Amino acid sequence: MSIITTSGLTMQFGAQRALDSLNVDVQSGVTGLVGANGAGKTTLMSLVLGLRAPTAGQTRVLGLDPRTRGAELRAQIGYGPERNVVPEDMPAADFVKHMAEVRGMPRNEARGRASDALWLVGLGEERARALGTMSTGQRQRVKLAQAIASDPALLLLDEPTDGLDPVQRDEMLSLIRQVSREYGIDVLLSSHLLEEVERICDHIVALDAGQLVAQGRLEDLVGDEQGVVVELAETAEQPETFNDVVSQLSESGLEIRRGEAASRLEVIGPDADLVADLVRDAVADADARVIRIERRRRRLEDLFSVGTR
Amino acid sequence: MNAGSTNASANNNGARSSADGTEIHDRGYRKYEGARSGVVGAVRSLVWQTIRSILGLGRPARHKVFPVIVVVIAALPAVVFLGIALLFRDLGDDSLVNYSDLFGFSVAPIMIFAAMVAPEALVRDRRDGMFSLYLSTPLTRISYVGAKALAVLSVMMIIALGPVLLALVGYTVVGDGPPGVVDWFKVFFRLTAASLVISALMAAVSMAGSSVTDRRAFASVTVILVIFGGAIVSGILIDAAEFSNSYGFLDPMGTAGEMATRILGESPDGGQALSEIDTEVVALGTAAWFAAGAGIVGYKYRKLEAT
Repeated sequence: MSIITTSGLTMQFGAQRALDSLNVDVQSGVTGLVGANGAGKTTLMSLVLGLRAPTAGQTRVLGLDPRTRGAELRAQIGYGPERNVVPEDMPAADFVKHMAEVRGMPRNEARGRASDALWLVGLGEERARALGTMSTGQRQRVKLAQAIASDPALLLLDEPTDGLDPVQRDEMLSLIRQVSREYGIDVLLSSHLLEEVERICDHIVALDAGQLVAQGRLEDLVGDEQGVVVELAETAEQPETFNDVVSQLSESGLEIRRGEAASRLEVIGPDADLVADLVRDAVADADARVIRIERRRRRLEDLFSVGTR
Repeated sequence: MNAGSTNASANNNGARSSADGTEIHDRGYRKYEGARSGVVGAVRSLVWQTIRSILGLGRPARHKVFPVIVVVIAALPAVVFLGIALLFRDLGDDSLVNYSDLFGFSVAPIMIFAAMVAPEALVRDRRDGMFSLYLSTPLTRISYVGAKALAVLSVMMIIALGPVLLALVGYTVVGDGPPGVVDWFKVFFRLTAASLVISALMAAVSMAGSSVTDRRAFASVTVILVIFGGAIVSGILIDAAEFSNSYGFLDPMGTAGEMATRILGESPDGGQALSEIDTEVVALGTAAWFAAGAGIVGYKYRKLEAT
């Protein structure tokens, strides 16, 4: 089921085009919105929330137009911003309760739900502490708690692991996954850290300089590909050996791509086992020394190198 | 209690009941299917939270000191005159101060509050990013500013209405209040209306000053400059340069005070710049200050980026 769709969505700030004719279809589950800083992730989130008017194009979120039914839509969304927005001298429980009320929880429900949300994110014992005395990791958890306390249908999290150490990052990602799986809350999570998105997301929307690079199910975008990667030793001293391997494989009808390192080749063919056999024969015939042969695996960063190639 | 009792049965509220009637409630995070309060609930929560923040409620004690001092200073004249009325009852009405004069005594506390209240209510939200977070909820720019205005107005009313209401109740208790219930309520409503005018105008000035800068200290200084500066400039123009008394409208506090005097139906003080001007014109001058303040707030918040 689509939860967010955009068509021709464009956002222009002066001379800079933050989003360029974006056609996005975000499905139910956990979706990673990935891209480098400045790719347009936060701008897309602000358009989804109806905080800005797009220069052109349409957006529908949970079946509603953010521009015309923004208040109704935002009542169903929990938002965790990238900025550190917590009021320093406010106890965590008061802050989460207040935000739950502002998002539509009746007063008598909000106190209990704030407490429940803080326990869920692991801050039950700390709920009376002032936010200004909390660590970065705890504040990130408070931001998650305030976003989920009102039981939203959709959770928008902008760089929720920003500033966290690896252990805290793992815990935060597990929490987000838990919130989605156990409570059926759809999540759109922005991050510039591709490996964390690969760990917990069902779907990916990849942006680069405001343009859509790729979108779809994670398993369709990453994983094993046809062909192998081979790394040869000492090519600088034996360039002929390297060239012999390349020519023999080319004559076999395989596609050859030079890797980032000079000694690395990507050999692409219809059957990975057959390609591996042909590489083995070519290496043996050229008397080359092999460091590594492995199956080609597509990673998220490859989406960006393809997109910008 | 034993959650695992073979006699226990679960209901759909997450509670388990046992044969002896005891219940174990599963209070974990869960889905919510009940009614939601929408924009009205959001505004109500924001108003209350803002009032709490301004008055330092739910915050460390140091945040409560300043509001308490200002409230005490504002209430002091009313308490003193009540004491005089009580101790020197044989002096009759001569010992009673009228309500306009009580408003006059509250000028300094009202000004201090105006300089403090809106910067606390508005500038903090812009500086710590809460403004953007609020706009990610059912609140819109208009409902956000409306909620903030309501909160600022409510707190200003504590200073403006509190002392005169204290005096009214005190005079009534010592037997110097309005004769009869009908007259009492007439005075009560006039005091409320006069306080509302002063509070609304000061809230508008205070919020306008707090919209033009993201530094709380600068916002406070701006508000004081407008209130003080207006009084000084109008005083110089009228007294030294002998300009028309209409320049008294440059003084926001003087304008609000004159309007309050007209609402109370008390005799205008001949020493005031606006005392000879028609009530309709004074009302227009008051409305102009209010509109100017509201216009600046509206313009600034329409342009404000939310990310």
